[in-house]
Amino acid sequence: MKKLNRRNFMKYAAGSGCALAAGLSGSQSAFAGSIRLQAGGRDFSPTTNKELQAIPTACWQCVTRDAMIGYVEDGRLVKLEGHPDSIRTLGKLCAKGQAGVNQVYFPDRILYPMLRVGKRGEHKWKRISWDEALDLFASKLKPLLDAGTPELLMYQYGRHKGSQSSIMHDFMDAFGSQTIGTHTSVCEGPKWVGQESLWGGMYDNWDYDHTDFVVNFGSNQFETHTNHIPTSQRLIRAMVDRNVPLYTFDVRLSNTAAKSTEWIPIKVGMDGLVMLAMVNVIMKEGLFRKNHLKYMRVSPDYHASDNDKIAAIKKHVAKFTPEFAEKESGVPADKIRQIARGYAKAKSACLISYRGTVMHYHGADQERAAMLLSAITNNLDRKGGRVMGVGAGWKHPHSPKAKRQKGLDIVNGFPGEAAFPTHQCSQQNLPMIKDGQNGRPKVYWSSCNNQAFINGNNKEAEAILKDENLIPFSVSTNIVYDETSQYADLILPDVTYLERWDYEDMVSPTGVAEYYIRQPLIKPLGEAWDQGEVFAGLAKRLGIDLAYSTKEEYVRQSCEMTPGVREAGGFKYMKKHGVWHDKNAKPNFGFYEETVDVSGDGIILDEKTGVYWNYKKAGVSEAEAKSKGYLGVEGAKNAYVAQDIQGTPRKAYPPNTSFTKSGLLDFYSDNFAAKGFPAFPTYTPIPEHQKMGKNDLHLTTYKVAVHTHSRTAHCKWLSEIKHDNPAWINSKTAAERGIKEGDRIKVSNDLGEITTTAHVTEGIIPGIVAISHHLGRQHSGIYGSGKKSPTPGGAEADPDAKNIWWDKHGAHPNSIIPNSSDPISGGQRWMDTVVRVAKA
Amino acid sequence: MSDKKTPEISRRNFLSGVGTAVVGAAAVATPTVKLEAAQAKAPRWAMVMDLRRCIGCRACTVACKSENHVSLGRFRAVIQEKTMGTFPNTKKAFLPLMCNHCEGNKKDGVPPCVKACPEFPGERAKFKTADGKTIRYRSGATYKRPDGMILIDKEKCIGCGKCIDACPYGVRSFDPFVKAGGDPTKQAADKCDMCAHRVDNGVEPSCVNTCQGRARIFGDLNDPGSEVSKLVKEHNLAKDANVLLAQEGTNPHVFYIDPDNLLKTLYTQRKKGKLDHFVDQIT
Repeated sequence: MKKLNRRNFMKYAAGSGCALAAGLSGSQSAFAGSIRLQAGGRDFSPTTNKELQAIPTACWQCVTRDAMIGYVEDGRLVKLEGHPDSIRTLGKLCAKGQAGVNQVYFPDRILYPMLRVGKRGEHKWKRISWDEALDLFASKLKPLLDAGTPELLMYQYGRHKGSQSSIMHDFMDAFGSQTIGTHTSVCEGPKWVGQESLWGGMYDNWDYDHTDFVVNFGSNQFETHTNHIPTSQRLIRAMVDRNVPLYTFDVRLSNTAAKSTEWIPIKVGMDGLVMLAMVNVIMKEGLFRKNHLKYMRVSPDYHASDNDKIAAIKKHVAKFTPEFAEKESGVPADKIRQIARGYAKAKSACLISYRGTVMHYHGADQERAAMLLSAITNNLDRKGGRVMGVGAGWKHPHSPKAKRQKGLDIVNGFPGEAAFPTHQCSQQNLPMIKDGQNGRPKVYWSSCNNQAFINGNNKEAEAILKDENLIPFSVSTNIVYDETSQYADLILPDVTYLERWDYEDMVSPTGVAEYYIRQPLIKPLGEAWDQGEVFAGLAKRLGIDLAYSTKEEYVRQSCEMTPGVREAGGFKYMKKHGVWHDKNAKPNFGFYEETVDVSGDGIILDEKTGVYWNYKKAGVSEAEAKSKGYLGVEGAKNAYVAQDIQGTPRKAYPPNTSFTKSGLLDFYSDNFAAKGFPAFPTYTPIPEHQKMGKNDLHLTTYKVAVHTHSRTAHCKWLSEIKHDNPAWINSKTAAERGIKEGDRIKVSNDLGEITTTAHVTEGIIPGIVAISHHLGRQHSGIYGSGKKSPTPGGAEADPDAKNIWWDKHGAHPNSIIPNSSDPISGGQRWMDTVVRVAKA
Repeated sequence: MSDKKTPEISRRNFLSGVGTAVVGAAAVATPTVKLEAAQAKAPRWAMVMDLRRCIGCRACTVACKSENHVSLGRFRAVIQEKTMGTFPNTKKAFLPLMCNHCEGNKKDGVPPCVKACPEFPGERAKFKTADGKTIRYRSGATYKRPDGMILIDKEKCIGCGKCIDACPYGVRSFDPFVKAGGDPTKQAADKCDMCAHRVDNGVEPSCVNTCQGRARIFGDLNDPGSEVSKLVKEHNLAKDANVLLAQEGTNPHVFYIDPDNLLKTLYTQRKKGKLDHFVDQIT
């Protein structure tokens, strides 16, 4: 690995006539006068003043995955910074990213393969060699292949992205199991399902660099977001540099709400209703823009005129008056009118929605209301509006697939639980295993994942993981001993993200894709292995051919295969520079307007929907295509070509998920109607909230700026700042219960009870308690849980451990939050829980 | 919270002025920023904290921990935050704090921490400027360099703690990892040194590098073309209301753009003999 070319990093540093000064005492040097400092890209030891080795790589603390620079001194990683040449991050890194160093060196890190020697949960382990570990693992997998039941290997992951995801799927394809559990339904699955039902794809970002007005529902973008650094810095800059207003609707005064032009407190689960009331105002007062109507479907009629559509939208939202919304949501009607007018009249505007909006009953429908607000003001994928995030399109090697491909139907919830679990229903994966009606895996492999902490009713998850009758063989690939790995039979020591290779692809809010890689900053500590090497080791023992032997080789091949990256210099270029983007690329806003050539062989126009599709690609005859139509032929959506938009075939919004739809934005959704859900975005009261007793409160959870959900408690610099998570409660609500600041309180419901501390505050609406969900760890090493892990650390003991000064480690709310899914999307309903609160 | 009257400071404009800056030219004449006008050969490093842009994310806090190997239990940089008002008219705001790298009072130009140091004034030390001139100054275990940085020489430090007590801002603490060179039975004092090891090598301090809101602006007040000079001038920051504890007469060189008057309403001062105001915590 070579040092970065310094010139790359000098672009922000202005030239200067002054040379480096000789400096202090002859040993230090000082700049003077007009000399400008460069922002970053180089670093020096504070003790020796020596320049550190700079290596470009990528973060992994959260899914944002910022490109960054790692600084190494004598083989030890000492510092991380944003990559100055990244068009996404602009050289910035958040608190979590800065604390990535802790991931490598925390003293409880798992560094060797460990075999369980006591009962599950007894925490008795024996260190074994990798050969022994892989032989054992392969001995459990071989019988599955021999018996023709590869699906009995379940791979349950938390975050696998970029090449970590593709290489895992490659291995599972080669093995033949499609029993793969994800975690998106506990994050923000309903948001994506709502979007997929409309514009086919998912992942909106916001063009803050050009926007004039921002309305935020339920997102804490200044503290945490799936694209945090790229978006939040642009938002605060827009606010201060260009006086762009930001209005935040939230139940809690988050840092985002605090920095907003105005925080508008709103009752739990009312975001969609207030959005519909804004639509009501915009339609009634004629503030809408007609531009996007031609791409919208708002009634069963695919060919409705603009006037018909306007009338239909007005009719749909007629009952959602600001006054009605005020009654339900607590937001004053005048405030709704004011913000609706400002939003609609702004030249461009962004509508943000996130977990506060969607992690509810019918959360997917609330996201559809957010899209409606964007569409009627022509702010969908327009400059300054809500845009489709653009990510890198990597090519990668493929190993031969197994002939037999099977999967257990245990990742989409119980039968009938969710209509469109396109992002699974992963909170029910373990309960489905317990239930057993759709089968049980014999080998459960958990990687970068902590099912016993992250799901609702996590005590049940623990019990299932502990039961050898339900899960006969359990493997955990991990860096830290946690709530899930404590019940494993075999623990495999994972590398940290700072010791491994990956290509990466997280989206850019600028409309231009960034290609970037992750490369090891140091040699893996102890005997930590990258999962790619584990796949190769297993494949060798199982007689499976893979297209690579190491992860580095996989990433190298990907760099040589991927157009753009290849021409720039491939792997060699990426190792040296870390990031690449097409300098000539322009933001592709308004992608739906692209005209499409429909003269190709097999392309016909479906009169009913206005869809051009290729019946030959769909594998049917012309006669069958014409008689059954686009909607009547299974798989026809994969043969979508274009949508007839007022006589012109345009790309429009192609379907690309399990939703069969035309190229129009399906604000009237047959898919939803067919399953008994509202065809048009509406307000559906949350059932549990309709029968709350006088003393019942809502329980909501949230994130803070310095932790991820479950993978940072062992990072000392983060837990030092946030190690306790008292329950926020409004002073009025607290007073009604005789609760004062710092009192111990019990939060309970039918599922159980937790004891925690009250934080009495004016920064939350009355009638709820809010508890952040990072803390209350059973195990996460000394920094995360206060107790040492039972696995032998091989890392040098951290001399800082004796400086720990806090003895609180918080309380985890998930044990009193049931696993309960949005019936539309399968998303976990984190924000619908009802509790009672009393002094302990 | 944004101040609508504030003119836009675009990075492009800022950079375009760079080449024309004259070394040592006085940028502003103010009561508290004393510029060495014609003689100034060294920079005068200073920080501007634009509170409109601070989102309380703590990237600076953690970057500083990492950059400077700061032990648990103490900080060189923190954010104080406070929730104010009554629901629903509630506000919450953030105030980044660090060593103020004070110029010292107008009479002797020695900040209280330096004055308290038994090892000050020590032997004469030399500071070489960019144009090759030498500026002589008094060393100490805690001392003021001619470029304005208040630094600690841990080899000279005797671990007496007098500087820790003397700092009205309470930004100093004992480093459990570093022995005091002057008395190895004790620990050396430690605090923010403006990342001198980076600045001396031409790179911005680590907290500035990672500040996503670009709330921290670092630069040379002796250079009228620097962004800090421009901000001090445009926002009229060189006055009591825009620095912490002006009444102490320390002449701080961390200036706050503070349209919401947070220095008055939010700042939690140290309690005598205590440093818990300088431990960064999120409730």
